[in-house]
Amino acid sequence: MFQPKKPSTMNSHDRAMCVQGDSGLVLTTDPKPRLRWTVELHERFVDAVTQLGGPDKATPKTIMRVMGVKGLTLYHLKSHLQKFRLGKQPHKEFNDHSIKDDLQRNAASSSGMIARSMNDNSHMVDATRMQMEVQRRIHEQLEVQRHLQLRIEAQGKYMQSILEKACQTLAGENMAAGGYKGMGNQGVPDMGAMKDFGPLNFPPFQDLNIYGGDQLDLQQNMDRPSLDAFMPNNDNICLGKKRPSPYSGSGKSPLIWSDELRLQDLGTAASCLGPQDDPFKSEQMQIAPPSIDRSTDLDPISDIYEAKPVLSGDGMGDKKYEASPKLERPSPRRAPLQADRMNPMINSGSVAQGRNSPYG
Amino acid sequence: MAMAIDNAFEVDFSSYSTTTTTTTTDDDLACTWNDWGSPVVDWDSLSSERDEFQDLIESMMDDGTGIELARVDHETSNSVSIDTMVADEESNREDFKGLRLVHLLIAAAEALTGANKSRELARVILVRLKELVSPNDGTNMERLAAYFTEALQGLLEGSGGGHGKHFITNGPHYHRDEHHQTDVLAAFQLLQDMSPYVKFGHFTANQAILEAVAHDRRIHIVDYDIMEGIQWASLMQALVSRKDGPPAPHLRITALSRSGSGRRSIGTIQETGRRLVAFAASIGQPFSFHQYRLDSDETFRPSAVKLVRGEALVINCMLHLPHFSYRAPDSVASFLTGAKTLDPRLVTLVEEEVGPIGDGGFVGRFMDSLHHYSAVYDSLEAGFPMQGRARALVERVFLGPRIAGSLTRIYRTRGEEESCPWSEWLAAVGFKPVNISFANHCQAKLLLGLFNDGYSVEELANNRLVLGWKSRRLLSASIWTSPDSDF
Repeated sequence: MFQPKKPSTMNSHDRAMCVQGDSGLVLTTDPKPRLRWTVELHERFVDAVTQLGGPDKATPKTIMRVMGVKGLTLYHLKSHLQKFRLGKQPHKEFNDHSIKDDLQRNAASSSGMIARSMNDNSHMVDATRMQMEVQRRIHEQLEVQRHLQLRIEAQGKYMQSILEKACQTLAGENMAAGGYKGMGNQGVPDMGAMKDFGPLNFPPFQDLNIYGGDQLDLQQNMDRPSLDAFMPNNDNICLGKKRPSPYSGSGKSPLIWSDELRLQDLGTAASCLGPQDDPFKSEQMQIAPPSIDRSTDLDPISDIYEAKPVLSGDGMGDKKYEASPKLERPSPRRAPLQADRMNPMINSGSVAQGRNSPYG
Repeated sequence: MAMAIDNAFEVDFSSYSTTTTTTTTDDDLACTWNDWGSPVVDWDSLSSERDEFQDLIESMMDDGTGIELARVDHETSNSVSIDTMVADEESNREDFKGLRLVHLLIAAAEALTGANKSRELARVILVRLKELVSPNDGTNMERLAAYFTEALQGLLEGSGGGHGKHFITNGPHYHRDEHHQTDVLAAFQLLQDMSPYVKFGHFTANQAILEAVAHDRRIHIVDYDIMEGIQWASLMQALVSRKDGPPAPHLRITALSRSGSGRRSIGTIQETGRRLVAFAASIGQPFSFHQYRLDSDETFRPSAVKLVRGEALVINCMLHLPHFSYRAPDSVASFLTGAKTLDPRLVTLVEEEVGPIGDGGFVGRFMDSLHHYSAVYDSLEAGFPMQGRARALVERVFLGPRIAGSLTRIYRTRGEEESCPWSEWLAAVGFKPVNISFANHCQAKLLLGLFNDGYSVEELANNRLVLGWKSRRLLSASIWTSPDSDF
């Protein structure tokens, strides 16, 4: 809802002239007439909402009725109510806009205080201290962000180890497969669902094969970049490309068919998270390079497993896990959280520090 | 529109306003079945309920009619506003349909347990519901209603649990543990990627742990329910890269395991241990793993835990994460009570946040549960609106069984059992709260920001962060220390 504000025009919305209408509403005279939520108006809003039983019971219509303010439209109330619901405490969102605004406003007000009370040393000290506090908080937030990124990556790496192990197990099961655990009457595979995933570079269903039947197949697969498209989240390790397999021969035995179904469920389910734009853009993790030592299966089960620290940094923690520094998440709605997102805050901090203009 | 609540902000990073009331719109939804007239429900007449519930619908919905929305900015073209009008009518229809399902569900719940109990009526309503819903298709409300219908059906037939026997799965009886390994794995990964629930619990706990053991050389964590162990991956990473304090602190984890738990969803405790050992090795974290085998009554005997002098003891208790199995309250209580005698440096607790119980009995708790899971469904959809199949998988593997189990338990106790949050329990037995740091709170907000604006984190107490979706609180993370600790 906030419009992005550039640091240089931080007070732009203040500079627009405000007129007070007959109803007591403050509307700005900039090209788009906006409603200014003054303190009084907001307080009336809060009163109305409280009367109606809280932000979830109240609706724009009822609030409008209760407030009885002329010129106030449902549209105004709708978005204000939404914001009120979401952000009942001040700094819920670490959005680049709102945090920047708040910090700027605060920093500016402290500068303003400096300007206005030059002769009062105590005010100046307070203001400076406040600014330092702000600076410290910004720094801390950056630290937090950096750590968060690393921690999420660590989780992703661990997740991958789970999937790898599972694939190995399943491949093993497959090789030994005579009977298979009840697959249920899956019936005809649901091809329609494949269409859900749009531009993803899905190999056609007929090309799918299950785990290939032996480890070699899996390893060979991994070098193929197109698997990235298929399964950005590493389940692709489990999938083979079309190749002759001891099971399929020319056609598909019923066993394979049902396996493929399950695979498809797995595949479509997991891969549907793939980015809808570029299927080849790798997510955080690459698929395992063939160099992974699969033979390290640990010792027989005992109660205590001791791990000696591996200082060389080799083994699994190899280049594979140098994920891109961008913290990318598969959500289509969110832009990736990037380091530069926080930079405006730094800028604002330093800008505010030097700024001496009075606030307001 | 640039709306600024001037002067209402204060730059105050350290404390946040607390809200103590949980708002719920469920009162609006409640209608006793007496409203419906004769016991033989005339389904056709229900379609005229639109007039009856018009106000109800309006009061529930955010948008006004399309006409009011047409008063938008001058710049917005008329065609756009007309589209909005049409879209809103459609969403109104959908909302109405969802509302109808809710009413049917509540009616069924009432029929099962209410004052005018009638199994026959319940049966009839459930039949009708089943015609309207499907666990794989349709809107959130429809899929959610499918699982609730299923659960109610199970209660009606007296089969405690009613896991997917009827129409949720098109195959043989699928109990949660019987889901195929790939399904469970895929669902787990999807859950992780699509929602912050698991990460929120893990990261909040881990951050508190890191802060508590900042100067320790040896750390021992006793984990109540380690599951697949992913929580510790990020903790290890953080330990390995920590700047202050003794370098290369040794981490020891004792994981409680249960004998009769059947096939675990993502592998056994031993597998988890091996994975963690391998992971620790790969990043250079000194690590050892122990297993504590609980016997069948799940009594925790603290004396059986191997302790080492000089180690900082942390108790980690994750409950109710979406992919977790149910743990009986006795087991949890036994664990936490035993933990107290170990005088731990820190206790991290993550649990479901339940709405106010009141005296609604089964129906009240049924509605609360409905509200809870609809928020979860909505949260998944909001982030991933196009990935219906993925969400359906998560729902089938994790959420559906939870719904069934939860309703069974509520039913058995007729909603009488006052389910006290464990955080209150900890306070009552003497554990002391430990403040959530700014960094921890900050991390939570950043994490949620990666997903969707609809998530919120509230600091409901100095030691408690609560994750919510829109106005519904879902998951609570709280930090404690032992009563005798001077930490």
